Amino acid sequence: MTKTRAGSLFFLAFSALYLYQSYNIHLLPGSHYDAMTARTFPYYLGIIGIIISGLMLLLTYIKLDMNDMFDWENLRTFDFKKGFYFILAMIFYGYTIRTLGFIISTIIFLIIGFKILESKSWKVILLTSFGVSIVFWFLLTQILGVYIEQGMIFDYFLGVQT
Amino acid sequence: MMDGIYEGITTALTTYNIMMVAIGCFAGTFIGMLPGLGPISAIALMIPITYGMDPSSGLILIAGVYYGAIFGGSTSSILINAPGVAGTVATSFDGYPMAKKGYAGKALAIAAYSSFSGGTIAAIFLLFAAPALAKVSLSFQSSDYFALMVLGLTAVAAFAGKGKFLKAAIMTIFGLMLATVGTDADSGVSRYTFGNLNLIDGISFLLLAMAAFALSEALMNIIENKKMSKEEREALNKDIGNLKVTKEEVKEMVPVIGRSSILGFFVGVLPGAGATIASFLAYGMERSLASAKEKLKFGKGSIKGLAAPESANNAACSGSFVPLLTLGIPGSGTTAVILGALISYGIQPGPTMYTEQPALFWSVIISMYVGNLVLLILNLPLIPYIAKLLAMPKQILTPLVIFFSLIGVYLVTFNTFDIFMMIGFAVVAVGLRLIDYPMAPMILGFILGGMMENNLRRALTISDGSINFLWERPITASILVVTIIMLISPLISQFFSAKIIEEDR
Repeated sequence: MTKTRAGSLFFLAFSALYLYQSYNIHLLPGSHYDAMTARTFPYYLGIIGIIISGLMLLLTYIKLDMNDMFDWENLRTFDFKKGFYFILAMIFYGYTIRTLGFIISTIIFLIIGFKILESKSWKVILLTSFGVSIVFWFLLTQILGVYIEQGMIFDYFLGVQT
Repeated sequence: MMDGIYEGITTALTTYNIMMVAIGCFAGTFIGMLPGLGPISAIALMIPITYGMDPSSGLILIAGVYYGAIFGGSTSSILINAPGVAGTVATSFDGYPMAKKGYAGKALAIAAYSSFSGGTIAAIFLLFAAPALAKVSLSFQSSDYFALMVLGLTAVAAFAGKGKFLKAAIMTIFGLMLATVGTDADSGVSRYTFGNLNLIDGISFLLLAMAAFALSEALMNIIENKKMSKEEREALNKDIGNLKVTKEEVKEMVPVIGRSSILGFFVGVLPGAGATIASFLAYGMERSLASAKEKLKFGKGSIKGLAAPESANNAACSGSFVPLLTLGIPGSGTTAVILGALISYGIQPGPTMYTEQPALFWSVIISMYVGNLVLLILNLPLIPYIAKLLAMPKQILTPLVIFFSLIGVYLVTFNTFDIFMMIGFAVVAVGLRLIDYPMAPMILGFILGGMMENNLRRALTISDGSINFLWERPITASILVVTIIMLISPLISQFFSAKIIEEDR
């Protein structure tokens, strides 16, 4: 499997789905008199997408480029596990930023991030995560005047400030 | 024009704005130095900070970041042979050998002087070219704008590199497709929102830029798991030596800088080309102009080989602002992100910007010059210290880059859905990076998508639904002819190169 073929298959499927979904775009009554409706542009984009990705796919069958093959040896050296853990950490951050509040969730996210990347010194980890979170929070709320909600957990324990 | 320039100077030279240029240059240099993070990431990371500023200060900061990132890329190219930016790959050809010989300081100084001169020459060109083009473009109609956008998007694909034409083309289409998500500006109908209220306003450009560049580049850094070699670490800790350049060396550099800057500026103006192509072309030009004896020095620490790409890439950066400021059409991924920032400030660049907001228009141009000056006066002496920051462990830097990307997008809307959408896009972007699909055409397509559809709608309405507008106006027709030539030129060049190979056999 070449990289171009894998990509062209993805885009062919995406373009086909995109084109199919363009028929679900609701049209206003009388819009068929318009020179261009909300559906026109997506419709042609879908068609062009199918043509280009189809052409790419076809070309990979006509002329196989050996340099374009997946380099499995190289891919094996990649650390996908760490990447996956980081994505989980980001999702966790997304879920906790409003519940735990900016400072606590950021500290936890950074500590997790540093640990995933195998930082060893706890002194550096704690100093950086606490330092960055607090300094950044101070900069945003006290200097730039950006309002950041305190977090639902604080609302729950301390009562909602009105 | 003089009033505008005066207004621009007074805006750009306020203490606050000079401080913004300096901060921008410094931040840009640091981010640009980090291998993997380029100017697009640097600008995207800074945009949320600029939201609280007035547009001219925001844009001035962004221009500083842009120049700084290019300069930072040169520094890592010279010191550790790891270009942070594609535009500075050619710099490493002669800059790194020079540093290896123990002349790192000299190489950095030559790079800084060349960048400064390239930027200065280009800023002077910009001073005249931008108003001239703005005046011409006042006569442009929707059909011409539509044709120009088609040209811009085609050019990005055509200049994408050998064998990457179709990949860049499909990425452009992908960007255009993503731009249709949300409420249709004309009819108010929602498209591709799947009933999700979070998508009603469409996908934010900052979110997409941050996901496709900063976040995915950081994730790629994690996945690739590349550690700084002992040699690279030593190079960073080593004394960079004297920054002095001798008179003879200056004499050698001057004509090179002149030629490369002019070439760089015009390549930068072309849609789709930009700093990378400009630097390679300038390097190639100097090598072919050099005498047989000098040619041997190329690749081994030639001063000409270092000065040429450095002046060309900086000149191209200024050049790329011409279509952005005068036509409102970006020619590269970086200027596309800048356009996105401008639109979010409520400014639509184009010919009217020159007449209606002269202070903003000129202050950007003047601040580019100030940016070059700041790089020379402030950054060059600080380079040994900034370079030390590069030695900061990746385990600490990468989570911070990810944090700033996530929080930068979250702080604009305070909607956690944006964080999840960003993660989703970043995962797709990593997948596409792994199979060598370029990201810049996608962001360009995304930014131009809405404008392209509006101009097409207007042109079609004016011509009563007929596609005659494509050839009825001479400007539209000529632009489209150039587009067609650009479309078929990769095929023609492929045909000719195949023929040459056959003849050689």
